[in-house]
Amino acid sequence: MAVKFFGQFLIDQGEVDASHVREALDLMEDENPTLGEIAVGMEFMTARETVEVSAAQRNRDLPFGDMAVELGFLTSDQLVEVVQQQRTRRLPIGQALVRLGHIPSDRLGTLLDAYKTDQSEYEVGDMDLPDALANHRATKYVLDLLPKFLMRVARMQAKVGEIRDFDGEPDFAEVKVSVPVKGARGLEVALVSDFEFAEALAMAASGISPQDIDPEMVADGVGEFLNVLGGNAVSAVTKEGQRVELGPPDYDATLSDGWTVELAVGTGRAGLVLSVF
Amino acid sequence: MTRKINVLLVDDSRTVLAQIERILSEVDDLAIVGMARDGAAAIRMAAESKPDLVLLDIVMPGLDGLSALRTIKSMHPTMEVAMVSSVSGDAQKAEEAFRLGACQVLGKPFDPEIIESLVESVRTSIENRPVEAGDDGEAD
Repeated sequence: MAVKFFGQFLIDQGEVDASHVREALDLMEDENPTLGEIAVGMEFMTARETVEVSAAQRNRDLPFGDMAVELGFLTSDQLVEVVQQQRTRRLPIGQALVRLGHIPSDRLGTLLDAYKTDQSEYEVGDMDLPDALANHRATKYVLDLLPKFLMRVARMQAKVGEIRDFDGEPDFAEVKVSVPVKGARGLEVALVSDFEFAEALAMAASGISPQDIDPEMVADGVGEFLNVLGGNAVSAVTKEGQRVELGPPDYDATLSDGWTVELAVGTGRAGLVLSVF
Repeated sequence: MTRKINVLLVDDSRTVLAQIERILSEVDDLAIVGMARDGAAAIRMAAESKPDLVLLDIVMPGLDGLSALRTIKSMHPTMEVAMVSSVSGDAQKAEEAFRLGACQVLGKPFDPEIIESLVESVRTSIENRPVEAGDDGEAD
């Protein structure tokens, strides 16, 4: 029901349990070379420089690769190459579970096929986007997943309109909640709607009856929907190898210049406002 | 006789707490012993109510879910903790949760069947756990 990594899917299917996944992760950690080891192997960095990066990480919470770039030991392009190399050489969790005897080797292919089928609904196809967003994967996932999750979370049918330049706050903007997708090219995703739509979404998502819902709960429900939408977009982009993170909802969003899409929904009026930062 | 399972829910969103409460209301022999809105409250309530299972959000203001997980597992090694996250497909975050002792990472939107089957697996695990005199599974 959500974007998952393979180990989680196997637990959900009852094929393995958390202790098996932990054993597999330990094996992967033992066998998979670190980013620093790969960078040294590719002669982008010296062993001494990797030690300096590790020392700098003790004072600042920054991933190894980002710290190496900041200290001038790696270029951004070299970091991309090193990360790609690490992904290629990584022992996959399925193989690790087979080697540990937790999955029969002749069953792994069947399970991988089942996983691909389960996750296929999160693949995005071609989408007509403005040039500035043409290669922006987070935007594609957000727009593609939006009607799917409105149906799944709230049983709401919605049709996503054409994306166009943002030309000011719509007249129905009574509720404005946004979440940031932080990355090399960040994306602010704002859901803007009238109160009728927001209330219907919050009630359907939470199961709370009309007499028990309050304005704070309405905003919370919209924020949680955006959290699910943005979170699954982030998971999907992360699986493609990009580094992005989801920030917390802003319940009184300021709408920035960017793009907008109106949603055709059965209850009230709503739209998305997207801006890149 | 079926062992009753006590559950603590932790999420900063009231919507999510209501969603999980609704799903768990369908499960027999289960009691929700508390609801917390942040990691610090989760640690306190876990110590007070000693639940069998904690459903713990990863991203929360203040003390986040992974930090709370680390503390809860160090204080109560046998307490089962399942993480809840909209970014559960981010392998790095999910792997960290498993390494810290999580028994499951539940993605959103929730699949009620997966939550129900998690509760039943926790119930089975507790029922099959050997009981030793004076051993309540708590760390010193």
